[in-house]
Amino acid sequence: MSTAISVIKVRDILLVTMPPDPDDSTIAALQERVLAAMERHGSAALILDIAEVDTLDSFFARTVAETAQMVTLMGGRTIIVGMQPAVAITATQMGLTLGEIETALNVDRALDVAAMPAPQKHRKVRR
Amino acid sequence: MSPVPPAGELPIKAEHDIVTARRTVREASTQAGFAATDVTRIVTAASELARNIFKYAGEGVMRWRHVRTDNRSGIELQFEDCGPGIADVDLAMEDGYSTGGGLGQGLPGARRLVDEMEVQSKVGVGTTVTVRKWRRN
Repeated sequence: MSTAISVIKVRDILLVTMPPDPDDSTIAALQERVLAAMERHGSAALILDIAEVDTLDSFFARTVAETAQMVTLMGGRTIIVGMQPAVAITATQMGLTLGEIETALNVDRALDVAAMPAPQKHRKVRR
Repeated sequence: MSPVPPAGELPIKAEHDIVTARRTVREASTQAGFAATDVTRIVTAASELARNIFKYAGEGVMRWRHVRTDNRSGIELQFEDCGPGIADVDLAMEDGYSTGGGLGQGLPGARRLVDEMEVQSKVGVGTTVTVRKWRRN
């Protein structure tokens, strides 16, 4: 079984696919690889495909949320794709949140989402 | 992967053992007859508790066994270590409390995914967390 993260550049989008059962080191490597690739390719959006992932625990969820936050700081956006129903149920029951990340049912839909302007976020502005 | 017996134990001493723990529990709970969503709940709880052993105690052991009473059946998982122990178990069960730099979601999160959880801990001696999940028939 492959445990490697796949990173593919499609136009100005970075398509990252997570393996089914990654260990903590693989998950931790996600951040660095994704951010480096975003910079190298000048990508505007990250599509993170977790369709194969069958266990999303608090460490994994935190890493994904942090990565998305970093991508936002770099001027990009993150779209999470393909969360399995059982994983979504479990994550919600545990109280895990992924922050304000956009989601899509599959990669096709995510590419449509990425082509649209980013949604307006409620930002706290300090004066 | 060879079939997982209905009961057994697995040492947790390296990061990759967390992955092995997840796979073992997935196999054992599927064999115990749990449906897919419950299997994911049990495996996710096991992942949190196995990581706690690795992160806080360095090493320990996970035990699993199928359990059965007169009218129900399920699975029991036990995570035992000889680590630093938890000074205040009630506090550790609260959302957002962490001494390990995490978000404090591990223990309270795992508790919400199972039917029963018992935490026995003594500072300087170690921690044993036992969880049970029953099949809904």
